[in-house]
Amino acid sequence: MNRLTTWFTTGLIVFSLALVAPALAQQPLKIGFGMSLTGPLAGNGKAALIAMQIWAEDLNAKGGLLGRKVELVYYDDQTNPSTVPSIYNKLLDVDKVDLLVSGYGTNVIAPAMPIVMQRNMAFMGLFGLNVNSKFDYDRYFQIMPAGPEPAIGWTQGFFDIAMGLSPKPQTIALVGADAEYPALALEGARAQVKRTGLKVVYDKTYPPNTVDFSPIVRAIAATNADLVFVASYPPDSAGMVRAANEVGLKARMFGGGLVGPQFAALKTQLGPLLNGIVNYETYVPDVAGKFPFLEQFLAKYQGRAIREGVDPLGFYLPPYAYAMMQVLEQAIKATGGLDQAKLADYMHTYEFDTFVGKVRFAKNGEWAQPRMLTVQYHSVIGNDLEQWMRPGHVTVLYPASYATGTVKAPYQDNKK
Amino acid sequence: MKNRTFAALAFATAVAVIAASRLIPNDYFFSAAYTVLQFIILATAWNILGGYTGYVNFGSAAFFATGAYSSVFLYKALHAPLVVMIVTGTLAAGLLGLAVGYLTLRMRGVFFAIATLALAVVLYTFVVNWDYVGGARGAYIIQPRVIPFGLPRYIHLLYSAMVLMTALALVIARAIETSTIGRGLAAIRDDELAAECAGVPTLRLKLFSATVSGALMGMAGTTFPYYLAYIEPSAAFSLSYAVNSIAMPLIGGMMSWVGPVIGAVLLGSVQQIVQVTISSAWNLLIVGVLLVAFVTLAPNGIMGWVDAWRRKRR
Repeated sequence: MNRLTTWFTTGLIVFSLALVAPALAQQPLKIGFGMSLTGPLAGNGKAALIAMQIWAEDLNAKGGLLGRKVELVYYDDQTNPSTVPSIYNKLLDVDKVDLLVSGYGTNVIAPAMPIVMQRNMAFMGLFGLNVNSKFDYDRYFQIMPAGPEPAIGWTQGFFDIAMGLSPKPQTIALVGADAEYPALALEGARAQVKRTGLKVVYDKTYPPNTVDFSPIVRAIAATNADLVFVASYPPDSAGMVRAANEVGLKARMFGGGLVGPQFAALKTQLGPLLNGIVNYETYVPDVAGKFPFLEQFLAKYQGRAIREGVDPLGFYLPPYAYAMMQVLEQAIKATGGLDQAKLADYMHTYEFDTFVGKVRFAKNGEWAQPRMLTVQYHSVIGNDLEQWMRPGHVTVLYPASYATGTVKAPYQDNKK
Repeated sequence: MKNRTFAALAFATAVAVIAASRLIPNDYFFSAAYTVLQFIILATAWNILGGYTGYVNFGSAAFFATGAYSSVFLYKALHAPLVVMIVTGTLAAGLLGLAVGYLTLRMRGVFFAIATLALAVVLYTFVVNWDYVGGARGAYIIQPRVIPFGLPRYIHLLYSAMVLMTALALVIARAIETSTIGRGLAAIRDDELAAECAGVPTLRLKLFSATVSGALMGMAGTTFPYYLAYIEPSAAFSLSYAVNSIAMPLIGGMMSWVGPVIGAVLLGSVQQIVQVTISSAWNLLIVGVLLVAFVTLAPNGIMGWVDAWRRKRR
């Protein structure tokens, strides 16, 4: 090859690279996940997706990440675990995503774990229940504020408040559905019972497709338990609350682990029947002052949620879906790249400032400190949605740093 | 073709497919293929009782879950190797099939179908309340770090096992179809009373058919816990197994072993493609539309339609 040809070839290569380089720089940073957009958890999945899309839009408006626009690549997992391995393999091998996050819930997070672990990727989970207890993967992180021992963190507030009553309660009834979350919540409640020395007078589960809860509540009422702890999914939460009102259940505290009252659908459906119940929440407007940036997010979310027919309040999951992405964003910015080991190290080491507050992860990837809010509903009148958007219908009881009041017992005297 | 020749050919093809698949660098192929193969086994197994014998089984999920949960039990109790799980799960589901076979003594038609549906509900309740295998909370099954045969990932092993199990299921289905057993089953399907009068040992054949069908369905479920890494009752007893294992032979054709394979490959692949292209919400709609279309236009499935076309040409 003569000198002229060498120079020409070199020049051509440099010129080609110059043309290609900006194009490479312009390639979007792809974040892949499966999300339940159909199936039993579609309502929550769609709400989470809106939050993640808002995050991507906010970020892209500011120029993206690492100089690249962010693109969310997602598929519907149908709330069906068996679809998850295919989805995550496709995201990695066909779509060539740069990062992975999880869909909503334990049963779709767990099937993604082996794939994530084989590829040594950092993995943010969205509301999984203690998934890492069996995998023990040091690059797994989870955004639900249940603490390093979720079963304990979930139930701590209810039991701490109960034991603060005077005179101290002596007996408790435990009831829940035969399903994944209720089983974990009841496991936590039993550990709390052991700690507090309460006497269990009723401890039973019911099939998930139960529709008539009156016999269950009547059996509980017959035990005259001081406390009634319920761990249930939305349809049975509605059934239990209605049955408690119909039967005229008397207890000093009732509630604990009802899934459903966190969402607009059940808040509006049950309305004043919720009065007096002590339950968990992840956010309520009564503590808006503690979440200074959340209002602006919720304003964006609520507009879109109404259009798309999903939870119009968006207090429970969407802020945490947004925060999950913020954690990832801050870790990428701080480490200056997509090195999965560096990202995981950073996420283990540093605290993150998110819309749901300061987040620090424990060794197992869960929140280092639990921060489930334990609340009591009161002064709910009628079934309109508006009242739930304003403070004044929920007293935050736990943790102390978020408390806005104290519990009113017994339950039956506060049903108005 | 003789059954032995077919068996040799089927296993040789299976081994060749496994070897060729190693050239595919894409894990998505393996997980998608795993699902399609799982449906081929389920559809083939269902067809032995539903297609050959004429007893419609709505409880496929119960047999599938029996295979899956026997693997969970063995994992928890003994950390048994995969091959032991496959054999045990197949036998356990076969025993369940035998029990279902006895149901046919008293029940036929719609009553038998409802009884199989009830069986799934009973087993579901049993598993939900059996804490040792995870109960309502589900169980984690962690894939071993050391993968045999120098395979790069565990999904490759599960896929290879599934290919071999599919070959076995097809060999069994074809052997039954082409033997005197198959003719006996066809006689039961056409008129059980007449078959009995003609000297066909109907009870024995029905027991055999239900046992083999159940065993193969269970075999399809044995590797499922490792595929998911986490199994809970609603995943193992999913209605989609019952629906698909009926829909696939219906679409492919129930009169021969090829029909369920065609139906499963067609429907399974369409479902996989739709899931990552259009929307999963379309999945069930597609199954429904295909079912209605085939029941109306080709009641004997694709194979029936092909046979009719062949006859016309002659």
